[in-house]
Amino acid sequence: MIEVVQLKKMYGDRPAVDGISFSVRRGEIIGFLGPNGAGKTTTMRVLTGYVAPTSGTARVAGFDVQQDPIAVKRRIGYLPEHPPLYREMVVRPFLRFVASVRGVPRKEIGPRVDRAIDRCGLQQVAGRLIGNLSKGYQQRVGLAQAILHDPDVLILDEPTVGLDPSQIREIRQLIKSFAGAHTVILSTHILAEVTMTCNRVLIINEGRIAADETMEALAARGGRTRRIALRLARASDGAEGQIRAIPGVLDVRREAGQEDVFMVETEGARDVSERIAERAVGQGWGLLEMRAVTLSLEDIFIRIIQGEAA
Amino acid sequence: MRNVAAIAWREIRTYFTSPLAYVIIGVFLALSGYIFWAHLVRFSELCLRYGSNPYFLNQLNVNDMVIRPLFGSLGVIFLLMIPVVSMRLLAEERKSGTAELLFTSPVTSGQVVLGKYLGAACLLLAMIAVTLTYPVLILASDASPDMKPTLVGYLGVFLMGLSFLSVGLLISSMTENQIIAAVGAFGAFLGLWILPWVADSATVTLAGLMNSVTFGLWEKLHLGLGGPTLGDLLNKLSFIDHLKDFQKGLLDTEHVVFYLSVVFFSLFLTQRVVDSQRWRG
Repeated sequence: MIEVVQLKKMYGDRPAVDGISFSVRRGEIIGFLGPNGAGKTTTMRVLTGYVAPTSGTARVAGFDVQQDPIAVKRRIGYLPEHPPLYREMVVRPFLRFVASVRGVPRKEIGPRVDRAIDRCGLQQVAGRLIGNLSKGYQQRVGLAQAILHDPDVLILDEPTVGLDPSQIREIRQLIKSFAGAHTVILSTHILAEVTMTCNRVLIINEGRIAADETMEALAARGGRTRRIALRLARASDGAEGQIRAIPGVLDVRREAGQEDVFMVETEGARDVSERIAERAVGQGWGLLEMRAVTLSLEDIFIRIIQGEAA
Repeated sequence: MRNVAAIAWREIRTYFTSPLAYVIIGVFLALSGYIFWAHLVRFSELCLRYGSNPYFLNQLNVNDMVIRPLFGSLGVIFLLMIPVVSMRLLAEERKSGTAELLFTSPVTSGQVVLGKYLGAACLLLAMIAVTLTYPVLILASDASPDMKPTLVGYLGVFLMGLSFLSVGLLISSMTENQIIAAVGAFGAFLGLWILPWVADSATVTLAGLMNSVTFGLWEKLHLGLGGPTLGDLLNKLSFIDHLKDFQKGLLDTEHVVFYLSVVFFSLFLTQRVVDSQRWRG
């Protein structure tokens, strides 16, 4: 459905997107993850035809965004980071206006607007001025304008930013309901969001793709290394070195702020907990606690961003 | 065409559902109304004083003394008010992020520009249309102005307003800041307005200018050094000069073509500016 090849966008001589390639199949929900300024918004703006790429190509539903912008735009629903709303307009007329510029046939405008209002839970505010709505409702109006024309591809730039927890859950539910019929690209810097809504995640950092994996594969990365937390009552100064000497141990660090806790990184394939325990008892360090720490997605994300081999 | 209409209609709707249109039309009416009334009072005084003298009575003409000066005043008020209308057209869309909605919709940049322009042109038309009540009001009296030259004058003022508006739209497309758009538009209008002030002192002929630019080659090719001066050219570009014939009730295609060319040229440039912004991001 979406094919991006060696896409590059320069702002002056600073690359915002630096040669990324990826493709998205029909019906997938893909999460665009990355720190601020990673190039998520720029990539989305190129896909929607709002900015032109410096080099490389992007195709949506087989149409090139540069050669055939109108055909691409017809198939895309887009919610930018700041919802593009005319604050001085009332919700329903605003949606009718969007429907007509998006090319919805005149007769269908009424029913489509009603349906979008229903789906986004806007029934109670349909007659109010957009500028007077709360941030949460404004976000929903933004979402409603994106799905009005029933687009094949839905591009959402940080759709849950600034919402309260219950609104976030509703929006996520709504996005999930698009799966199958629509292809969705969702950008966020909240990991939990990707975990809950997406099938696949694309991590970008400094304009490049750092990882392109299914959620399962990403979670499996955590299994490759294992972490053990060790709490010792009387650790001698050489304790760190001695633990590091055990075969299978990759790294030992003292936990910041907790002097008696050591974080031990071990190879995933070998279970060296027993050896560590033996050493601790043998040296009389006073082993108080020993537990396995699983890597959260958050940790994996940070490792990928920092470019470590996770 | 449907896209253009939708964008224009949204623009008009916004004017009239917000205080904007009412404030602009209200102020415009108050100012032009006062000027019209002042001219009318003066005219009726003159009529009272010299009405008994048949020679002077023939000189007193309501078209010349009341309506013609009105068009000049409308032009000046436009000069001050059109920047306020034009400043927000594209600058506000960029600032508020709604440009992202328009330019990711399946419409071309030309359609967006044209839609915005037509929407604002309708506001302009509304402003002018309400002032039509002035001549109509005195139509019923003994003064009974001649309506044909009056309507020609209105056409002239409207065309001048349209060309101002297109220049304002062009300036609005270049910035996100509405103040800059307004000040820029005002400066441009005033500059175009006062061109004849310097024109008279620019006595160098265009051919002479070409001659010095080409280091005398022009003269050697026997292309002649006479012909129109730079001042003549500047005079032709003055916005106010082209209004004069309309004020007299003369409909000359030269002036219609001038104003419409300004409109087309500005709209074309606006579309290019908007398109180029895609590349800069």
